[in-house]
Amino acid sequence: MKTSAVTYVKHFALFAAIMGLWEVAARQEWVDSLLLPAPSKIFTALINIMFQSGLMWHHFGVTLYETVAGFLIGSVIGFVLAVLAAQFMGFKTYSTPYVIALQVTPRIALAPLIIAWFGFGISAKVVIAAVICFFPPFVNTLTGLLDYDRDRMEMFRSLRASRWQIFTQLQLPGAMPIIMAGLKTAISLALIGAIVGEFISASEGLGLLMQRFTFQLNMAASFAILVTLTLMGLILYWIMEVLDDRLVYWRHDTRLQQRATRDRRRYASLLKGVGGGPALQPAE
Amino acid sequence: MKEGRIATMADTTIRGEGVSKIFSGSVVAVEDAHFDIRQGEFISIVGPSGCGKSTLLRMVAGLIDITSGNLTINGSVVSEPRNDVALMFQKATLLPWKNAMENVLIPTSLQGRKITDADRKQAIDLLQLTGLSGFEFAYPDQLSGGMQQRVALARLLNTGSNILLLDEPFGALDEFTRETMNMELLRIVSEVKATALFVTHNIAEAIFLADRVFVMTPRPGRLARIVDVPFGKDRTPDLAQTPEFNRIVSEVRSILGAGH
Ligand SMILES: Nc1ncnc2c1ncn2[C@@H]1O[C@H](COP(=O)(O)OP(=O)(O)OP(=O)(O)O)[C@@H](O)[C@H]1O
Ligand SMILES: [Mg+2]
Repeated sequence: MKTSAVTYVKHFALFAAIMGLWEVAARQEWVDSLLLPAPSKIFTALINIMFQSGLMWHHFGVTLYETVAGFLIGSVIGFVLAVLAAQFMGFKTYSTPYVIALQVTPRIALAPLIIAWFGFGISAKVVIAAVICFFPPFVNTLTGLLDYDRDRMEMFRSLRASRWQIFTQLQLPGAMPIIMAGLKTAISLALIGAIVGEFISASEGLGLLMQRFTFQLNMAASFAILVTLTLMGLILYWIMEVLDDRLVYWRHDTRLQQRATRDRRRYASLLKGVGGGPALQPAE
Repeated sequence: MKEGRIATMADTTIRGEGVSKIFSGSVVAVEDAHFDIRQGEFISIVGPSGCGKSTLLRMVAGLIDITSGNLTINGSVVSEPRNDVALMFQKATLLPWKNAMENVLIPTSLQGRKITDADRKQAIDLLQLTGLSGFEFAYPDQLSGGMQQRVALARLLNTGSNILLLDEPFGALDEFTRETMNMELLRIVSEVKATALFVTHNIAEAIFLADRVFVMTPRPGRLARIVDVPFGKDRTPDLAQTPEFNRIVSEVRSILGAGH
């Protein structure tokens, strides 16, 4: 389904209307412009921190690093633990109470403790991000690995597949869609973790900037940071979407079509000169 | 049976003596089944739901242990899945991340060797044999149910096994497609001289395909009777109209009725 030009125009018109109304509301002082600055002020502040002072980029990099590193560590640990839990029932039995305890605890409450353990630097934020985001990859991987199709498993067993083959060729690919869904949740949680960590105590990062500008009652700059964070969130989201499109190609019709066409070209020589011909016409 | 030879006990491929399966200590799925299946024979298994047809097949496949009795293939006791036995299910059980050719190649790749162009060529040949020319690289989600089942049939044949266990393989298909697939199956099985065990709910279908029909009755699952079908290998749909055919249908039906 293609989005038509008309739809784009409508989207743009709606956005412009909201911004226009907001601008007027702020200028006419319908709302306290000190608390809710006009979009034009926010835009100016954004241009300033991005290009004039360029203040933002270093902090952007710090927060992005904390998020991505935390995400990678949390996801890898979650994935590995889930694989172990799926393979060894004993492991699952004994780890379950801890996993549930960890799940029901608001893990963000661990943030001050983690800062106490790891200090005020970047590594504490990485750990906070990892702790916050670890759960969805763990649960989703475990669910995905255990939720295999019984008939497919029997098919593999009847073909004398080894445990390793069953894991790599049946369970893992079968779990990929739900694992990817877990990773998508995890990356936005990691960003939250990094920002909260910076709120608590930091010398750099977008969370710190946000706090500093708000204390200074520089609301336009605070909103500009918010826009920057939205931008970061969008970039991360987009990367995950691209990964999903590649790794779970069989859930995307266009990808399937592309791959089928590619393979037909790649193995064209094998298709030629086949004896026998079709025994049946595909009736469907 | 191989041509020009008279079947003897030495031809026995699959032999069951007092085979029983009791699940979780109390559910008697199969009780005291005795049978001899010869090389190249086509056996249909009929019976109402829950009479142990799938259980019998899974025991022969080595997927589940028998509770008591003795089950041998070519003289050796069945204790695990074997290379010469392959299974096909009611569901196609294709892997959605593999295209048709790759799905057919699953038995090859599970042998742990690298897939060669010769393997691919063979897979493509099998897909064309089962009527899927033009769909060699399509993914399961791009295929209809009937076409998926053809891929599964091609994969079954690619195992190279000469004992084929088919558990209602076309049960989910419409009648027309099912009939075509049955004819095709009959042709292929006799061509590769495989031994086949074919489970179905449909009595006419069972008789049409088989050299012998295993009639099973439920609670507990019993192999009530083995009915001979004396029609030879070359069969056309007209056969189902003959009085002899209908006599056998009635016979099977009465055995099933008596079991209730
Ligand atoms: N894994 C299992 N654990 C416990 N009971 C089982 C199991 N598998 C099958 N049974 C029971 O064994 C009996 C026979 O089941 P089976 O699947 O062999 O029947 P079937 O003849 O194939 O039926 P259908 O025609 O519906 O496929 C049923 O009562 C069923 O509930
Ligand atoms: Mg069954």
